[in-house]
Amino acid sequence: MKKIIGIVVVSIVAVALGFAGWLLLGRDPMSFAGGSTVALEDYKGSNITGVPAQLAGADLVKRGEYIIHAADCRACHTAPGGTPFAGGFAFNVPFGTIYSTNITPDKQTGIGNYTDAQFLAAVHKGIRADGENLYPAMPYTSYTYLTDDDALAIKAYLFTLEPVHAPAKQDQLSWPYNQRSLLALWNVVFNLDERFRPDTDQSRQWNRGAYLAEAMGHCGECHTPRNFAYALDNHRKFAGALTAGWRAYNITSDKDAGIGDWNDEDIYLYLSTGHATGHGGAAGPMGEAADDSLSYLVPDDVHALVTYLRGIPAHGSDLPRTITTPAPASHKEGLVAESDTLGEKLFAGVCASCHDWTGVSPVTGYATLTGVRAVNDPSATNVAQTVINGVDRKTAKGRIFMPAFGAGYSDDDIAAVANYVTARFGAEGAHLTGRDVADLRKLASQHSNPEEAPHG
Amino acid sequence: MLTLTINGQSREVDAPDDMPLLWVLRDHLNLVGTKYGCGIAQCGACTVHVGGKPVRSCQLAVGDVGTRAVVTIEGVGNTSHGAKVQQAWMEGAVPQCGYCQAGQIMSATALLDGNPNPDDSDIDAAMAGNLCRCGTYIRVRRAIKSAVAKSA
Repeated sequence: MKKIIGIVVVSIVAVALGFAGWLLLGRDPMSFAGGSTVALEDYKGSNITGVPAQLAGADLVKRGEYIIHAADCRACHTAPGGTPFAGGFAFNVPFGTIYSTNITPDKQTGIGNYTDAQFLAAVHKGIRADGENLYPAMPYTSYTYLTDDDALAIKAYLFTLEPVHAPAKQDQLSWPYNQRSLLALWNVVFNLDERFRPDTDQSRQWNRGAYLAEAMGHCGECHTPRNFAYALDNHRKFAGALTAGWRAYNITSDKDAGIGDWNDEDIYLYLSTGHATGHGGAAGPMGEAADDSLSYLVPDDVHALVTYLRGIPAHGSDLPRTITTPAPASHKEGLVAESDTLGEKLFAGVCASCHDWTGVSPVTGYATLTGVRAVNDPSATNVAQTVINGVDRKTAKGRIFMPAFGAGYSDDDIAAVANYVTARFGAEGAHLTGRDVADLRKLASQHSNPEEAPHG
Repeated sequence: MLTLTINGQSREVDAPDDMPLLWVLRDHLNLVGTKYGCGIAQCGACTVHVGGKPVRSCQLAVGDVGTRAVVTIEGVGNTSHGAKVQQAWMEGAVPQCGYCQAGQIMSATALLDGNPNPDDSDIDAAMAGNLCRCGTYIRVRRAIKSAVAKSA
C-alpha cells in the first residue's frame, strides 16, 4: 500500500515538475533559436542595442525618440483622440478593463517624479514608483530585455514632453484580478527580469532583429498566444492570438497559416509601410504599429526584423492558405452558393464603389481585398472590426481612409457583410451572427460601458 | 507636375500627390460638373471613370491615377454609351434637383460599357452606391433600360 502511495506521489510530483518546467520554458521568447547566449558586455559583434549607426552620434533625447518609436509606447499610452502619452487607453481583458497611464512628466499624475531607478523598475520589473505592481498589460516581460541605457533614453525623451495633468482612470477588474499584490507571484514565474542576451550562433543581423522584435517592438504581446495565466506561451511563438478584439495573425514561417510564403521584400514593405501588394494593407492595431512605430525604423532595422521573422519556426493554425486570385467582375459569378443576400446588398451599396466586385480596388492598393489575410480568415474577426471601426491611417503616402460603419449599421448588417466578403474574396466564408459582432464591438471598445456609448 | 489624360486631352496639373482627384478636377481644371457629396465614397456624386472603371474621385489620390485615362461628365457624351445614356436621361426627365445626376450617369455608362444588356440585378449591383435624396431611382432604372434599347 505504502509503495502505491509512493508511486502516486512521485508521479504527481513528476507531472507537476514537468508542467512547471514546460511553463518556465515557455517564458523565454528567444529559446526557440537554441544557440548559446552571452551577456551583452561579452558579445563580440558590433552593437545590437540602442539606435542604428546613423544616429549613434545624436543626443540622448534624439536617441530616446527613435527608441520610443521602436518600442511603440505611444500606441497604448494614448487614448483615442487624446494627448500623446497622457494615457487612458482601455484594455478589455477577460476579467475587466485596465487603463494605460499618463507617462508625460507631470509631477502629480504622470511620471515627473520618477527617478532613473524607479523608471527602470517599472520597465524591467513592472513595479511602479509607489511599489505597487503594474498589470502585464504593460509589456514589461518584453521590455525587461531593454538595456538600462535604452530604457533611460526613453525616459529622457518623455521628460522633454509638455506635462499633462491626466489622473489615472480607475481599472475595473473582478476579484482576485484586482489584487495587484498577487502579481508579485506571477512575476516570479513569468517575468525573467533579465536583459537581452545575444545568441552567438546567430548573425549580428538576427540579433539586432531579435532585440527590435522582443525588447523593443514586443511583437509577441499580440502575436503569441497566452497560457491559462495570461502569460505568453512561447511554445507557440507568433502563432497568432486574439488581442483587444482583433486577431494578430500567425507570423511564423508556416507557408499556409503564417508568412512563410511571403518574400522578404513583401515583409519589409508590410512592416515599414503597413502595406504590401498582394497582401493588402494593415488596419486596426497593426495599422497603428506600422504608422506609429515600424515606419520610423531605418531600413537596416526593418531588414533585421525580416531576418529574425524568417527564422521563427513554423506553427500551423486554423488559418487557410490565402486566395490570391481576384473574384469575377460580375456579382452573379463567384461564391454565389455561400453568398448572403443581405451581405451582397450591403456590399453593392456601401463597399463595391471602392473595393470593386473583383476585390481589386481601382482606388488604392490599400483597399484591395484579394490576398489579404483578414479576408482569408474564416472567423472574419478583423473584417468585422475594420467595417465597425474603419481605417484612418496617416502614412508617408498620405491619409488612408475607410469610413467607420459601426455607428450606422446594425450588428446583423455587419455580420452579413463580413460573411459575404470572406465568402466572395477569401478562402472560406465566415458564419458570424449579430451577437458575435456585438461581442467584437465590446472587445475593441474604448468605452467602459459599451451599452451606454452612443451607437456602440 | 503631374500629367493626366482627361476626356482625351493631356492636362498638366501642379497638385500634391495626395490631393483627391475631385479637388484637382474642380479647383485646378475647372471641371465642375463632377460634384462633391459626402467626401467618403459613400454617395457616388463624385463618380468619374478611371481606366474605364467608375471611381469615387473624392477618395482617389491624384498621384494614384497614373497613366489611366480619366473621363468626367463633361466628356462622357463623346462615348457611345455615354451619349445614349445622356439622351435617355433627357427623354426620361430623370433629374429632380440634379446634384447626384452626374455621378448617376457616370455609373450607368460604366455599367453599359462592361455589360451592354444588364438585368435588374446587374443594375442594382452597379447603381446601389449612387444615392439620390430626391428618390429618382425608378426613373434612373427606366432610363438605363431605355439606353440599352437605343443600343440594340
